[in-house]
Amino acid sequence: MPAPDLSVTIAGITMKNPLTVGSGTYGHHGRFSQFFPVEVMGALVPKTIRTYKWPGNPAPRLHETPAGLHTSVGIPCNTWEHFLAHDVRILKAQKLPVIQSVIGRTEDEYVDIVGRCSDLGIFAALELNLSCPNLKQGGLDFGYDPDAAYQVVERCKQRSAIPVFAKLAPDYSSLVPVAQAVESAGADAISMINGPRAMCIDYRTRKPIIGNKIGALGGPALKSLAVYMIWAVYRAVKIPIIGMGGVADFRDVIEFMAAGARAVAFGTINYVDPLALPRALADLTKYLEENGVSDVNELVGAAHDEPRAIADIPEADVAKAGVPQKVVA
Amino acid sequence: MLQQVNALVTINRPLTGDYWLIELEAPSIAGLLSPGQFVNIRIPGLVPFLRRPFSVYRVNKERRRLQVAYKMLGEGTRLMTTALSEGGFCDVIGPLGKGFSLPEQAKRIAVIGRGIGIAALPTLVDLAATRNIDVRGFLSARTPPNLIGADIFADHGFPVETHVDGDRNVQVVTDLLQAEISRTSFDAIYVCGSNRLTRAAHRLAQQAGILSEVAMEQHMACGFGDCHGCVIAVNTDREGTEKAWREVCHYGPVFQTWEIINASA
Repeated sequence: MPAPDLSVTIAGITMKNPLTVGSGTYGHHGRFSQFFPVEVMGALVPKTIRTYKWPGNPAPRLHETPAGLHTSVGIPCNTWEHFLAHDVRILKAQKLPVIQSVIGRTEDEYVDIVGRCSDLGIFAALELNLSCPNLKQGGLDFGYDPDAAYQVVERCKQRSAIPVFAKLAPDYSSLVPVAQAVESAGADAISMINGPRAMCIDYRTRKPIIGNKIGALGGPALKSLAVYMIWAVYRAVKIPIIGMGGVADFRDVIEFMAAGARAVAFGTINYVDPLALPRALADLTKYLEENGVSDVNELVGAAHDEPRAIADIPEADVAKAGVPQKVVA
Repeated sequence: MLQQVNALVTINRPLTGDYWLIELEAPSIAGLLSPGQFVNIRIPGLVPFLRRPFSVYRVNKERRRLQVAYKMLGEGTRLMTTALSEGGFCDVIGPLGKGFSLPEQAKRIAVIGRGIGIAALPTLVDLAATRNIDVRGFLSARTPPNLIGADIFADHGFPVETHVDGDRNVQVVTDLLQAEISRTSFDAIYVCGSNRLTRAAHRLAQQAGILSEVAMEQHMACGFGDCHGCVIAVNTDREGTEKAWREVCHYGPVFQTWEIINASA
């Protein structure tokens, strides 16, 4: 039997295998993980950037949880000039698709960073990190509000010459409406899930442990939550999904793909087991060979009994149940 | 070059008091380690999830094995005593971080350690010995069994003051240090394990116009600069007018004392 075909295509971008990294978990400032060559994976997602310098959040920034990591780092960022002078040269030289993650505090800031990155002409796509409080809407994250998500994605799409992905944060009531909103706004793919909001309290002081009080949760602890959400969104949209949220090995990759992800990102596990991704790639290849799967795309959506739904489900039903009630062949 | 290796556990047994000693056969890490650097050890399974960072206590003569002295403090370190058995393997990353700087022209240095902080210092003492630098040790702890490492100074023939105080009162050590510095000239002071001793070392070093360095601790995730989790506030200028968050794993764990003193708001 010939070697299985591991390549996947997302928004016209061919990845030689479905594995990538969650932004900010594989090196930073143009310096990549020293543990394995960047070319091993199908695409690179570098650390999220802003148009402005940002110090990040106060210490302590992290706290260990059972099988997880609670963090509020705050996406520290150097200046745009520093990015141009140091990171761009390194990112430009990469021999794989680079999907740059970006963030803003307002719609205008998102459009600004998207425009600047698109104009550089070195990225395969841009990923909008929508887990940022919308300052004009009382601080609700863009990713929790279908209208805000629609507007920011639509404007970013208008400004960008390259595909735009929306990275969604998990919220049970708004997840599917937001996914449908970003799809109708023109998003080329969805990355999900970003770390859900979380908190840890010190029982001795009875106060939140990390400096920012509220943070996000990462790591295997949130895996089954991510799998469900990918499953639900896969049924509600047609654009491809890059799945993430607690992925640690090849079994998780298969699980995420079966739920509906076409590519899978390794995130928090990179901090604990930097060789997890190349090991999973080898194990996935072996699994496909042993199970007679000639094309990795056969895994995508394998968990769904019914043919995939299309996005004509009444929004009220979706919002009420979290998943579509009606499946259309 | 950073390595993630499966190292043979050659020793993992009680050292003294609450301390244990683990020795790993990891030539690719041990061969590159410099004093003050650390390793990040994985405990099998997903709970605890994070690795545990430790300064390296000793490196053997052939530079094939490294030792870590660790204190049983929580769930992770307690599991290390049982889950990492002698003859088994341990997933370890290293060498990590920026270690101590030992000036070329140094003739005599003071090395101050307290409690588990002492565990960061023997590799510096060993290096000083190979360079014929005279070392004076000042070691303290709250209880006698928790005072480790004095034998390492003694084996090199270096004088070492030890003190057990029981109540976190470091005044005696500070006085000993002050007295020693007033009659002997040092080229650098190194400290680990106590904020108060760090302040004392800083003050004395400032007066003498010499280098003073401190090995810092912070909760870490990756240990190699990617997660930005282990920041502490540091002064970016000697006057302390500018401050910044710096990752202990990347910019440290060894800092100059002026970077740390009065840096947090």
